[in-house]
Amino acid sequence: MNWIRRTFRPEQVRELILVLLIGLIFAFFSTQITGYFSPRIFNRITADVAIITVVAVGEVLVLLTRNYDLSVGSIVGVSAYITGTLLTRNQSMPPLQAVAIAVALGALMGLINGALVSYGKVPSIIVTFGTLAIYRSVLVEISNAKTVVTSQLPQWLLDLPGANLMTVGGFDLRPMVLMALIIVVLFQLIITYLPWGRQLHAIGSSPEAARIGGLPAQKIVLVAYIVCGALAGLAGFMYLVRFGNITVVAAQGMEMQVVAAAVVGGVSTNGGTGTMIGALLGAFMINLLQQSLLRWLQISEFWIDALLGALILLAVLVDHIIMDKLRTIWARSALQVTDPASEIKESSHVA
Amino acid sequence: MRPTNVTRQLSTLDLKDYKMDINPVLQIKHISKRFDTTQALDDVSLNLFPGEIHALLGENGAGKSTLIKIMTGIYSPDEGELSLDGKPIHLANSVEAQAYGIAAIYQEPMVFPDLTVAENIFITHRNRGWVMNWSQLNRDADAILAKLGVKLDVRMQARGLTLAAQQTVEIAKAISLKVRILIMDEPTASLSAHEVRQLFKLVYSLRDQGVSILFISHRMEEVFEIADRVTVFRDGKHISTLPRSQVTQESCIQDMVGRKVEEFFVKNSAPRGELLLSAHNLGRAGVFTGLNFEVYRGEVLGFAGLVGSGRTDVGLALFGVEPADSGEIRVNGKAEKVHSPEQALHLGIAYMTEDRRQIGLTMTMSITSNISLPMLRQYLTPFGMVKRAEETATANHFRERLAIRTTTVEQQVGRLSGGNQQKVMLSKWLNARPQLLILDEPTRGIDVGAKAEVHQLINELAAQGLSIILISSDMPEVIAMSDRILVMREGKQMGLFTRAEATQEKILTSAMGATPPFPAQNRDNEGEAMVPGSSRAKESEMEKSA
Repeated sequence: MNWIRRTFRPEQVRELILVLLIGLIFAFFSTQITGYFSPRIFNRITADVAIITVVAVGEVLVLLTRNYDLSVGSIVGVSAYITGTLLTRNQSMPPLQAVAIAVALGALMGLINGALVSYGKVPSIIVTFGTLAIYRSVLVEISNAKTVVTSQLPQWLLDLPGANLMTVGGFDLRPMVLMALIIVVLFQLIITYLPWGRQLHAIGSSPEAARIGGLPAQKIVLVAYIVCGALAGLAGFMYLVRFGNITVVAAQGMEMQVVAAAVVGGVSTNGGTGTMIGALLGAFMINLLQQSLLRWLQISEFWIDALLGALILLAVLVDHIIMDKLRTIWARSALQVTDPASEIKESSHVA
Repeated sequence: MRPTNVTRQLSTLDLKDYKMDINPVLQIKHISKRFDTTQALDDVSLNLFPGEIHALLGENGAGKSTLIKIMTGIYSPDEGELSLDGKPIHLANSVEAQAYGIAAIYQEPMVFPDLTVAENIFITHRNRGWVMNWSQLNRDADAILAKLGVKLDVRMQARGLTLAAQQTVEIAKAISLKVRILIMDEPTASLSAHEVRQLFKLVYSLRDQGVSILFISHRMEEVFEIADRVTVFRDGKHISTLPRSQVTQESCIQDMVGRKVEEFFVKNSAPRGELLLSAHNLGRAGVFTGLNFEVYRGEVLGFAGLVGSGRTDVGLALFGVEPADSGEIRVNGKAEKVHSPEQALHLGIAYMTEDRRQIGLTMTMSITSNISLPMLRQYLTPFGMVKRAEETATANHFRERLAIRTTTVEQQVGRLSGGNQQKVMLSKWLNARPQLLILDEPTRGIDVGAKAEVHQLINELAAQGLSIILISSDMPEVIAMSDRILVMREGKQMGLFTRAEATQEKILTSAMGATPPFPAQNRDNEGEAMVPGSSRAKESEMEKSA
């Protein structure tokens, strides 16, 4: 058992458990549903998960600081709609410019959230609950309740979702999926290796210690919101690519799936712990369950929401129990060698 | 193996013989700080020299914490200034204090539980590059801990560490920030005797490296073991600073308790009534043990001791909030287990908290609603509606009786002055018609006039046969208002004095565990007992709650 403790942290053990669970779910439904292991289902799940994951990565940044961003669904909708409208008016707009517009729109909305939370000192749940509604209403107002229609979008955009980068045995790697994977890896590296990323953990871990220790908490949290918004903006572009038809209710309720993915993936709502890989696994597991249950039980879409809710509750409950146990085991083993009381070296003895 | 540099030589000098050519590293010059009605610091001056351990003594409220907050940039002084190496400095926040090499370590370590030991040490460093080099970080952390002579797995999360280990991490952090003045605010309060020894080794090694240490502790014997010089504060004033060789525990206590009891309203002595409540061997694991006392009708029993000595915990136990788990409570001769406040009220026991803002009162509700809250059931119609008229009548009764100054009893409690809020809280519990009223710091933070009124009221209530337990950190108050005084220290009963016997010196000596006039105590043996708040007790509590 000792090598496990040395090689992995409790958080990584949790991720391994998630991978294992996904494997089990997959194995179970393969025996229940005929034609389960098909490229069609695979592509459908990965296309959904890609969008959720990109938003969830941003959400994790905010959750790490012990804050929430509930407005991400509206940010995705607004940037998808506005970018889509601009593309229908200007068919020759370069693809990168379209992406930049979506990201900038998201960042702007994130900036508003972050400024209100950080400098306005309003609880984040209130701020983003408010902006969730405000951003959506602004969209309804400027859109005049018109819909972005697929047929009016430039051809490159319509070709993008079906494009294939690589095919392995009938399973495609789509550009959007690759982008999501890159975002996950990139931000996993950021929260592990950049001082800013570590400070996110610190602030969420103990706001009081951060204050006394003199961390620039307001600035750090503000940037977390801006990046979260920018990623939601990017996801807005991905949403546009995937669906083409964008109404004013696009991505409504997505915040619930995003927070669920993060929480199931082991991100603590009390801040301080969580990984991007975990959020990706959480998003994948939820979507896999949704799609599988839809086919297996033929239950309605409405029950899927209840299932999602139950899953979040279960994840948090089980997670508390398991992580406490794991941490106790890890702490105990480390203390055997590191109890400072018994390990003072002779060199420091003072008469 | 000791470093033989200049600073080391400085520290070996007898500090009373400091010559003019050794300059203080930090000078605290004529600092004053005022909060509303209290003068927290009054023209305080102090010099800290490199390589000295400077103990700061004072009762609760003497101004120690305020001074720490000023030195670490959390408060700014109203008057006076700090000067480092002879140059005046102005600290806008704790980051600036750190930049000047001033750091503080508290009783409860301020670590980030989710970060590793190495990260905790370097989290506030700004100069470690754009990308974190984890292996370099771990090596650097290892090096600092090795310099301290401590072995600790730097890759481990701080969450699982003992309090002692967490403090070590904080010390390592301070060293990594090139600390020159290290303030230690009751660092030993939660440590076992063995851990205290280890901490002292660290402190000595820091001193030998030329760090100036301001050491605050309520444990006399520790202060006298570790300090080079001792400073005493009282009521926000600097009283004395002397080399250890020139002070005794008695002389320090004399300096700490200079106030006159006569300034206070003194309770009338009255013949005590029959026995109301008795406690035998009362205890709560990890909090307090072995308490024996009786409360008679019409008696005021004072509970003296320092903050954290377990007085409040006894009050909470008697009121059933955090019930005792050993020993026996008898009320009117009948053994009772008090396991909830509801049941305590039924037995005629009420408890008025020291924290009126957070838990004592509902600041947004009216005086009326606050007073009737615990007894709301008595104000209900058969249909479960509140009888507003009766509620108001009760509130008006107490408003008159306690002279609560307000235009109407519908006034929001949050808008009243501290003294009037205190009276509302008193009304609330008197309305429950208790036989025993436990008052926890009933005059804290209220002005002199209101204080006198509360004292007068305690006197009247006792005369009417109400038993009162008076928990107070205000020594003259306890002595003036109590018939008998129980002194607690670290969860244990240190003595029970009658008013005739009690003096401030006696009580403080026993509350601080100072040696004279009691026989010397062996700290190492004592530490093995269940010291409240010891890391072991904390751990077992944490495990329970997990």
